[in-house]
Parts: sequence; C-alpha cells; structure tokens
Amino acid sequence: MVRVVVGIKWVPNTQAVRFDPKTGTLMREGVPSIINPPDLSAVEFALKIKERYGGEAIAITMAPPSAVKGLEHVLGMGVDRAVLISDRAFAGADTLATSYVLAEAIKKISRDVGKVDLAVFGQETIDSSTAHIPAQTASWLRWPYVYYVTDLEIKDDKVVVSRVLEDRVEKYELELPSVISVFMESIEARDVRLLHKLRAKIEKPIVVWSNKELKLDPRCIGLKGSPTMVSKITWTLEVPRKKIVYKPKDPEDAARWLISMLLKDEKTSKIFKWVVGG
Amino acid sequence: MKRLRIEELLQRNVWDVGKKPHIEINMDACGSCESKLCVKLCPAGCYTVVDGKVLFSYEGCLECGTCRTVCPQGAVKWSYPRSGKGVYYRFT
Amino acid sequence: MIKSNTTFPTKFDAIVVGAGPAGAASAYVLSKKGFKVLLVDRSREAGSKELYGGRIYLGPLKEVWPDLDKKAPIHRWIKKERASIMGKDGRIITIEYNAGRRTSFTAYLPELVRWMVSKAEEEGTIFVDEVVVDELLTSDGKVVGIRSGPDEIRSDVVIDAEGVNRLLLEKLGLVSGPRPEELALGIKEVLKVRKNEINAQFNVDDDEGVAWILMGDITLGIPGGGFIYTFNETISIGIVIHMANAIRAAEAGAINHSFELVENLRLHPYFNKLWKSSDVIEYGAHLTIEDGLSFMPKRLVYPGLLIVGDAAGLILNTGYTVRGVDFAVYSGKLAAEAVEKALSEKEGATEENLKVYEDMVRKSFMYNELKRHRASKELMKDPEFFTKISRIPLKFFSELYEIDKEVPTAYEAFKNACRSEDSGPLSLMFKLWGMVKKL
Ligand SMILES: Cc1cc2nc3c(=O)[nH]c(=O)nc-3n(C[C@H](O)[C@H](O)[C@H](O)COP(=O)(O)OP(=O)(O)OC[C@H]3O[C@@H](n4cnc5c(N)ncnc54)[C@H](O)[C@@H]3O)c2cc1C
Ligand code: SF4
Repeated sequence: MVRVVVGIKWVPNTQAVRFDPKTGTLMREGVPSIINPPDLSAVEFALKIKERYGGEAIAITMAPPSAVKGLEHVLGMGVDRAVLISDRAFAGADTLATSYVLAEAIKKISRDVGKVDLAVFGQETIDSSTAHIPAQTASWLRWPYVYYVTDLEIKDDKVVVSRVLEDRVEKYELELPSVISVFMESIEARDVRLLHKLRAKIEKPIVVWSNKELKLDPRCIGLKGSPTMVSKITWTLEVPRKKIVYKPKDPEDAARWLISMLLKDEKTSKIFKWVVGG
Repeated sequence: MKRLRIEELLQRNVWDVGKKPHIEINMDACGSCESKLCVKLCPAGCYTVVDGKVLFSYEGCLECGTCRTVCPQGAVKWSYPRSGKGVYYRFT
Repeated sequence: MIKSNTTFPTKFDAIVVGAGPAGAASAYVLSKKGFKVLLVDRSREAGSKELYGGRIYLGPLKEVWPDLDKKAPIHRWIKKERASIMGKDGRIITIEYNAGRRTSFTAYLPELVRWMVSKAEEEGTIFVDEVVVDELLTSDGKVVGIRSGPDEIRSDVVIDAEGVNRLLLEKLGLVSGPRPEELALGIKEVLKVRKNEINAQFNVDDDEGVAWILMGDITLGIPGGGFIYTFNETISIGIVIHMANAIRAAEAGAINHSFELVENLRLHPYFNKLWKSSDVIEYGAHLTIEDGLSFMPKRLVYPGLLIVGDAAGLILNTGYTVRGVDFAVYSGKLAAEAVEKALSEKEGATEENLKVYEDMVRKSFMYNELKRHRASKELMKDPEFFTKISRIPLKFFSELYEIDKEVPTAYEAFKNACRSEDSGPLSLMFKLWGMVKKL
C-alpha cells in the first residue's frame, strides 16, 4: 500500500497567449488555464504506482479556485482525492514560498490522512520552466529527491528509481518517503473516464485548505515570503515558418539539403558557422 | 489589412491538442481519389497534397465533420478527441 | 477529508448526451421536475465546442428560462436587419430594416450554453464534461444507457442531443451517414473591434446590434450566404455553403480552399471599413443543416430514446435566417415534458409512452415553420436560381443609377436586366411571383 501525493500546477495555456508587438504586452483575455502538461505525466506515473502497489493517489495544487476544473480532470483520470490550497495570502509566491506551502500541505496530509510515501511532480512548468518546485519541496521535507525519473520499484521501505540522462540510465536506491520528478515525455497520460468523472462530480472529493487550516507564518508565504524578483522580461521575436517541403532520397540527402538551406539564409548561416566553428 | 494564412487563423484559437490523432485516414484509398475534396473543403487545411499524396495532420482540426461528409472514398474514420482535448471556442 | 471509497449511484432517470442548447434545456427542465439527470458532454468546459452564426430568437427560450433576457450573457439586441446582394464587379444592393421591438439578440454560444448548463446544475443535474459517449446501450431493442470507453451507465431514458454529427444514431442504425445534400458548412471569424467603434460604424447604441446577411458573390455563387453580427466588442463574420454545391464547385475547380471565402469577406472593400482596426481573435467551423425535414430521422422516439435539437433535424435555415438554438431549446423542453409523462406511466419509457413527444413536435410552431419554408429551401439550393436572383436586381439598379446622359425608365431598366439573364420580363415576373409565394 502506497500513498502517493502528486503536485500539479494550474497554468495559463501559453499556446493561446499572444504577444502584442505594438504594446509589448501579453494578450491573455479569455485564455483559459490548463494543467501544466508535464504534470499530467506525473499524474499518470502516480496512478501506475497506485495500480501496481495498491493504495491511493492524492493530487495537490496551490492555485486560485478556478483550478477545481483541473483537479476534476485528474480525478477523472483516476486520482482518489484532491487538495486545493487556495488563499489570497498565498498569492504572488515565488518557488521558495510555493514549495514551502506544498511541503507543509504534504505534512498535513501525512498527519490527517495517513503517512505519505512518495511525492511526485512534473519535470518543469510551461509558464516558467524553473524545475525548482520538486527539489525545494524535498528540501523543506528533508526527503531524498531524484529527477528525470522514468520508472520505480518499491521494496519494503526503500524505492529504486531509474533516472535517464542523455546517454545512460542511472538507478538510485532511496529511503521512503521521497520525492521524484517525472521525465517529461516518458509517459503518456491516460484519458478521463466517465465513471471517475462522475464520482468526482457526485462525491466532490476535493478539500480546500486556506491558511486557516495550514497555519503558516505569514512572513514565509505569498509575496512576503518570496525573495525572487523578476528584474526584466525581454521578448524574442517569433520566426515565421518558411513552409518549404523537400522530399529527400535518403537521410544523407536530407542532411545535405538542410545544411545547404541553413547556409543560404543570412541569419541561420551565421549561427551555423558559429556552431561548427567557422 | 492583409490576408491571413490558415495557420495564422488557427493560431488565434485556444487549443489543447492531444497526443493521439482522433481521425484516421485510410491512405490507400486516397491514391485512387481524383477529386480530393478534403483538401479543398476542410476549413482548417488539415489535408494537403505533397507529391500527389494526401497528407493529413489532425492538430488543427476544428472537429466540424466536413471531411467525413465529403470523402467520396469513405476513407475517413472520424471521431472526437477525448478528455476535452482539441479546439476550445470562446467567442463563437 | 472525504472518504475515497464511498459508493455512488450509477443509475439515472434520464441521461442526456450532448450539452448544447437542446441537451442543456432538456436536462434543466427534467431536473426542475425532480428527475435524476446525468448530462454528458465531450468539451473541456460546457459550450467550448459550440460555434454558430450569432443571433438567437428570444421567444422559445423564455418559455424555459423566464429570466433569460435579464440574467443570461446577452450581448446586443438586434435593432437593424440588413441584407445585401453582391455582384462580382463590386455592385451591391443593401436594404436595411430598423426593428420596432426586441425579439432576438446576439450572444456567444459558448457563453450562453455555459449559462444554460449552470442553470441545469443548480436544479440538480449532474454534469460531466470531457467525456465522449461512444455508444447508446441497448437491451431487447430498448435503449438502456450509455457507454464511454469501458464505462457503462444506465437510465430509464436517454435523450440524444448530440447535434449535427450523429455518430451515436448512425451506430445504432437509426439514421444514415452524413449526406452532402442535407448539410452546409459554416466558417467563421471573430474580429475584435472597440465598442464605440462598432456603435459608430453601425449607427447603434451600446445594447443594439446588427444582423446582416449576404447573398451572391460572397460565396462565389455557391448556394449559401454570408453573415455579419455585432457583439459587445467583437464582430462575427462568416459564410455558409451548401455542401453538395460546394462539392460541385470544388470538382469544377471553382473553389480551392473553403477557408479563403471568409478571408475574402473580411478583406472585402465594401465591408472592411467597418472593422478597419480589427484583430482576428478566433476562427472556426461547424456543420449545419440545410434541410431539416429531410435530415430528420424517421422517428423522433424509440424505446428508451428521444432525439432533440439538430440531431432531430429541428432547425430552420431559410437562407435569410437560421433558427437552430431556439428550436433546439424548445425541442429539449418538449422532450423533457414527454419523459415526465412517460415515466409516470406504469410501463415507463416505452415507445408508445414516449410518442407524445413526436405529437408535440408535430403540433408545435417548429414543425409548421419547417413545412412552410420547405419549398423556398429547394429554390435556394438551385445554383441557377441562386445566381439569377442576385444578378437581375443588380443589373436593374446599375441600369438605373450608373448613367452617362440618359436615365432609362424603370421599365426599360427592368427589361434590360431581364434580357441580360435570358428571360423576358413576363416570364421573370411569373418566376418571381412563384418565388415570393414560396418565400
Ligand atoms: C455556421 C452556423 C451558423 C448558425 N447560425 C445560427 C444563428 O444565427 N442562430 C441560431 O439560432 N442558430 C444558428 N445555427 C444553428 C445552431 O447552432 C444549432 O442549431 C444549435 O446549436 C443546435 O443545438 P443542439 O443542442 O441540438 O446541438 P449542438 O449545439 O451541436 O450541441 C451538441 C453537443 O453535443 C456534444 N456531443 C456530440 N456528440 C457527443 C458525444 N458522442 N459524446 C459527448 N458529447 C457529444 C457536442 O460537443 C456539443 O456540445 C448556426 C449553425 C452554424 C453551423
Ligand atoms: S473534421 Fe473538419 S476541420 Fe477536422 S479534418 Fe475534417 S474537415 Fe478538417
């Protein structure tokens, strides 16, 4: 029996956020939020563990109330219950303050529901790509942490995780409880199921925790607890697609053609020459 | 005002594109098809012809049902994206 | 924390498939009557797969939601009706009617449907989104529930509100596959324009809107038309083309890409000044029904099953108005009332008991409207008529107004216009009269 907590982030659908070159602002009007896509792999991973070893999967997110929509989605995938950590006091948090709140929430789940064995996160988020959260949450919890995980095996109170790097797979043995983040494209999320979604709608297995429940020091949460400052954002221009289709004879022909095209273009030829050293 | 390409039009929408295609084409049937109505009538330009062959990409599909209606070969195995994926209309 | 393993009921009085206007209305009415209703839709959020033209008639909706005109997300009340006949050469006739009272409004269908579904949920409907229904379950020739992937849920009665693409009814063998003769393709763009700019360009107040239909060259002569509707801070523009004729045009090489037609409209010199500084913020397409009566399934009820809205062919598309949303809502309401009656009988949702729904539809304004407009539909689908009806008046006005020295009499202008289309004035008069009767 394993109790897995899986963290998800409710992020703006960055695909749909357009950049207005005239005003230099982001056009977010009417853009709905989605579950950070790499986190769906984490949910799938958590569900697989639950299926293999029995137990339960609990989703947590620190987000505004609209994130209930996302929690319903993962409940629809088969997660057993969900915690929405939502309070104005948590708003404006950087990764430090966020991971602090998440760690405290995981502790509270351990106290209220039962011992948490594993906390699973996605590799990174599409709206900030820091990959801080799982590592920092592990630090607050003082649990071991491994990232880029593709597989795991639990033996008694230990877990052996596989972590992929570019050219090898490493195996680590960790003490439970521990924290892992799931290698982004390693696992495909399952579909929402009618019965799971129906249960989510009827039983509403989502609790909302504000700081009344978590009782955290106001100096450590939200904007106050966030030492990170964004000093400046600059934009890289969108490169229009050329839409040239070439049908190569073989891979070598394809490579030759591609290189010749890259060298023909003024911009890419510079980069190309720089990369290959002249 | 300048004419927008179909890709530019589709980019204005909100999408959550699934990993699996929700429409399957029996490409064998396309070879012998002369009219290739899908290419001309699909409002998302999902069907293109490259070197005489029909290419299909489901990512920009507006889930309208035109291709399954007009395909003279019955080559379109049509269904909906699951889990709420696909196009997300707001102002229509 | 809530226990994670409680059991929950998986049997409902009614399951409604599809949360469009029809499904939302029937779920709402049934829940209000105290039935246990499950409403299932495939969209990420209620309404997010909905696309239509832009104008809805209030009357039938108010019978379901009496406070809809005050509470629903309505944009503008239609004040001006405009119709334009367009020629190839930039010649255009536009007529405008200034309405005396408020009978229809513009709304974003995704927004309005979300409102309708939230009303149903308030009354107790269980709404499940993000789920595709794969099959209507049958047992002993009776529909007994739905299946999605591995999951089955049962109910006394199922209401099919799946819309124009009738995958479920086709699977059951109750209707044939899609037929181009009966269908039309609608393609639409939403343009962001400042509110005061819309008001100034269209000469309307904040809550007044314009419904504008376009005929003729805007669809390259393919039977169908264009539309322009004004919203709070957007303008919707689009085209609808009759599928069978679009196929013919594509085969003849007259059309290369359907999506170019909407761009033609947006860039058209006669119209583009109305949205000078606009930005396209959404683009989409949807099928609609050209001819409701022939699209209609043989029967609207089967044991355990009722069919409503677009799926039932209950939509009026006259070429100058589309009434789908109000028909859908009204049919949803009638179905809910029929279900109440049937479930109060001992034998429940048998075909016999559900038949009241069919009777109610036949007696309703909807059926009457569909029959009355049937003949004009036939005419509008005829490409020859379709081009003539636009060319003759254009020629007439160009004779009358584009003059160098001599002004022709109206009769002379009319005669010349007819001649240009190979019809004598008399035979044309007869045809026109025949046509007007049909319209
Ligand atoms: C271009 C165009 C312009 C139009 N203009 C107007 C207009 O100006 N005024 C007007 O009144 N009407 C207009 N209409 C018609 C109107 O949109 C429709 O008649 C109306 O939406 C029909 O409602 P419905 O509930 O029957 O079906 P729909 O609105 O199509 O709803 C069906 C719902 O069922 C869901 N669904 C389908 N199959 C499944 C499944 N297997 N599992 C789960 N969910 C499923 C769909 O996602 C959808 O949400 C127009 C239509 C088009 C295409
Ligand atoms: S359903 Fe419509 S948008 Fe999708 S591929 Fe077919 S024709 Fe194109």
